Amino acid sequence: MRALVVYCHPTPDSFTAAIRDLVLARLQASGAEVRLHDLYGDSFQPVLAPAEWQGYLDCTQNCTPVGREVADLRWCDTLIFVYPTWWYGLPAILKGWLDRVLLPDVAFLMPDGVNRTIRPGLHHISRLGVFTTCGASRWLTWFVGAPGKRTLMRGVGLLLKPRKRSVFAAHYLMDSSTPESRARHLGRVAAKMDKLIGRPAATPAPQPQGARVTQ
Amino acid sequence: MTRALVVFAHPCEESFAAALKGVVVGTLQKRGWDVDLCDLYAEGFDPVMTAEERRGYHAVPGNTRPVQAHVDRLLAASALVLVHPVWNFGPPAILKGYYDRVFVPGISFRLENGKVKPAMTHIRKLGVVTTYGASWLRATLAGDPPRRLVTRAFRHAAKPDRLLYMALYDMNRADAARRAGYLARVEHGMEQF
Repeated sequence: MRALVVYCHPTPDSFTAAIRDLVLARLQASGAEVRLHDLYGDSFQPVLAPAEWQGYLDCTQNCTPVGREVADLRWCDTLIFVYPTWWYGLPAILKGWLDRVLLPDVAFLMPDGVNRTIRPGLHHISRLGVFTTCGASRWLTWFVGAPGKRTLMRGVGLLLKPRKRSVFAAHYLMDSSTPESRARHLGRVAAKMDKLIGRPAATPAPQPQGARVTQ
Repeated sequence: MTRALVVFAHPCEESFAAALKGVVVGTLQKRGWDVDLCDLYAEGFDPVMTAEERRGYHAVPGNTRPVQAHVDRLLAASALVLVHPVWNFGPPAILKGYYDRVFVPGISFRLENGKVKPAMTHIRKLGVVTTYGASWLRATLAGDPPRRLVTRAFRHAAKPDRLLYMALYDMNRADAARRAGYLARVEHGMEQF
């Protein structure tokens, strides 16, 4: 298992950082190879530059400004986002990661003579995890339509393997959270991570003919 | 006189988005409106909320200080029009960062006993002019996040008398006729706005 964790939060002592640490610990315990993109830590530049837009469709060159990000996206089979929800959506720095890295011929294939619509390009990714915190309540987030969750779970999700495994967990009403609610949420994140990782896909031991399987 | 703030997000002047911005600004000016164009790329807007801003996010009124000029322009307007392409089912990062940093507590919403109350009520008309790479069906299946952000969240923050959301879907395959048709629709929309 090869996991790419895309994380962003401006302050290192945030609850989001605690979620990131838990996610990383769970991955490491399962023996997964992990690569972390800490967007604030790396001072990731989220603004798609004019030259990038002009060269957007040139699939021989368009990856050059984000070579490391594209290489890791192609490398991973598990993609995990850990971020705070701002304005019901992704912080600009994470939105910019999608804008600049999810390029034609990397994340999707543009319409051509044969295909009339955009086609997914990330079929090698079979697990998607999304972990966030929301200032708004669950009800209000639902009413607004959870744009951030949908951008990742559906928008990005549509680009991944069709029968992928995906998990989502959010701590709502973050501004009135308590140590208990945060601890409960970390418990939920741990459970979701276990579900995402699943059982290790070891080669099944050969069973002798007629052997009874005991629990 | 109606004062409109037009927030525009696209890196290139030769883009279709720039043509849309031209129609929006021109049509509103023709109506005698006072138009303040905020071209985020041209103004070099930094969309990344800093750690210091995050820590002071809820500290009204000091929280506007890092983006005071943008806040003043927003407060001076009674109409707000957002012109941008949809990328990956959302606004470009530079515009998302404008929401993150400028639409702060006290400006867009107030927290009263943990409940969100509208504060952007000086915006009486709220408009969006956008384009999608995705088809309408694909965007709708994804829940059309950028549309909901405006028609639900921003509508709740401003409670405008008029809300207009104009979109051209499946932009990559739009021929000259469809693009011209959309430009005409936008012009008509802004005349009626």
